[in-house]
Amino acid sequence: MSFTWNRKDLLSLYDLRPEEITYLLDTAEEFKKVSQRKVKKVPALRGKTVVNFFVEPSTRTRVSFELAEQRLSADIINMSASVSSLTKGETLLDTVKNIEALQVDLVVMRHSATGAQNFIAKHLKCGVINAGDGAHSHPTQALLDIFTIREKKGRIEGLKVAIVGDILHSRVARSNIWGLLKLGASVTLVGPATLVPKEFEQVGVRVCHNLQEGLADADVVNLLRIQHERQAAGFFPSINEYARFFGINEHTVKFMKPDAMVMHPGPINRGVELEGSIADGPQSVILEQVTNGLAVRMAVLFLVAGCVQK
Amino acid sequence: MEKKALLFDSDATSAAIARIADAVVHDFKTGELEDFAFVGIYENGVPLAERLAVEVEKRCGYHPVAAKLDISMYRDDVGMRSGLPLIRETVIPFEMNAAKVVLVDDVLSSGRTIRAALDAVTDYGRPALIYLAVLVDRGRTEYPIHADYAGLTAPEVSPKRKIRVEFAEDGSCEVHTVDWGRKHRTA
Repeated sequence: MSFTWNRKDLLSLYDLRPEEITYLLDTAEEFKKVSQRKVKKVPALRGKTVVNFFVEPSTRTRVSFELAEQRLSADIINMSASVSSLTKGETLLDTVKNIEALQVDLVVMRHSATGAQNFIAKHLKCGVINAGDGAHSHPTQALLDIFTIREKKGRIEGLKVAIVGDILHSRVARSNIWGLLKLGASVTLVGPATLVPKEFEQVGVRVCHNLQEGLADADVVNLLRIQHERQAAGFFPSINEYARFFGINEHTVKFMKPDAMVMHPGPINRGVELEGSIADGPQSVILEQVTNGLAVRMAVLFLVAGCVQK
Repeated sequence: MEKKALLFDSDATSAAIARIADAVVHDFKTGELEDFAFVGIYENGVPLAERLAVEVEKRCGYHPVAAKLDISMYRDDVGMRSGLPLIRETVIPFEMNAAKVVLVDDVLSSGRTIRAALDAVTDYGRPALIYLAVLVDRGRTEYPIHADYAGLTAPEVSPKRKIRVEFAEDGSCEVHTVDWGRKHRTA
């Protein structure tokens, strides 16, 4: 009860102590209830200005953040790379310094370069929330995944989580790995050796190149989207071959325990990493992840804004 | 070090809670207001509301709901404090529209908590009326907010001292004065 949040930025789950992650999840539980009420809005961030700066395009994460900000009564500015002066040759730091000079309180940023948010957070007095950087970190996605697991399974500690797909290029996977390990889950990464290199074992996870083996004892199966451009780059021979060896379908779903949950951060390639009937089936929690994402982002905004000293 | 001094002992607070219960029963049950609910504001308003509900039942056989309200999302000082407390679960197990509500808190000081609580309660619906019951009224609110039921008054306590109510496991409570923490700034 005496624990208080004191970070002005949320950059990566790697930085957080386990009790801070738990505190965020507990806070999100109360914010989830706000969205279930008739009046779905609270004045927590009234008078605060939040800039959504998406240098790398995003639809679902941006919409989720924007709605979370509105439900907290914040004032919002949306910027994308194409409407910013980055296209005129301004540096990233100059752009965000100019944003900060307008007395904004928080910057929610997505960037294709790893560490971009860590870099600007050092130079800004306002708070910075990472909405995804390169293949590095996407803390709110991992928090909503972990929130959903905790809600369904009642705990994180001792659970076995399999993450299947393109781990190599995935910030969702990295953030999940850090968060889950800190809270005491064990993690198995599943996919072809080109996308799931053995080196990941060094952080304390199991690496498995066989789907049946990887899913056998999993309580949770988190599937990542297979991007078509990875095939052109030679990471696997064809989409069909990937689907046959690593996709979840009516046949391979039998490798899973009957009570294992199926998760996916979206957007789904139906028929590639996940068959439509499984995505829409009883084991899937995919739409609940979207609902929980809103609650988790409200909690993150509330806690981070609460620590930006003016 | 905070110098802690006893302001009211558990006999004094028990008598005060009895007085509030008497007054509430007089207004609502023997009066014409009838059914109502207590809404306790975290932290100490919650055990106080529960104790008041028991006292009301002893007097008239009617056990009012003791709801729980967290007002963290409604405060007007987000970003002015060094950290945020954990948000507790708001439990309002009744229809707020047309309900009669007695807000319960331990200490009425500036009135800012109550202002936030009024916003929070009215987001759940449009109550028929809202009264305010407090264990200790400092008699120096900064907003036009006043208690309908005040068990004890403490206008003599210096603004430099914080009034702290401590509930024991058995529901009894004592009131102390302590120094404000280092980070407190007045108005």
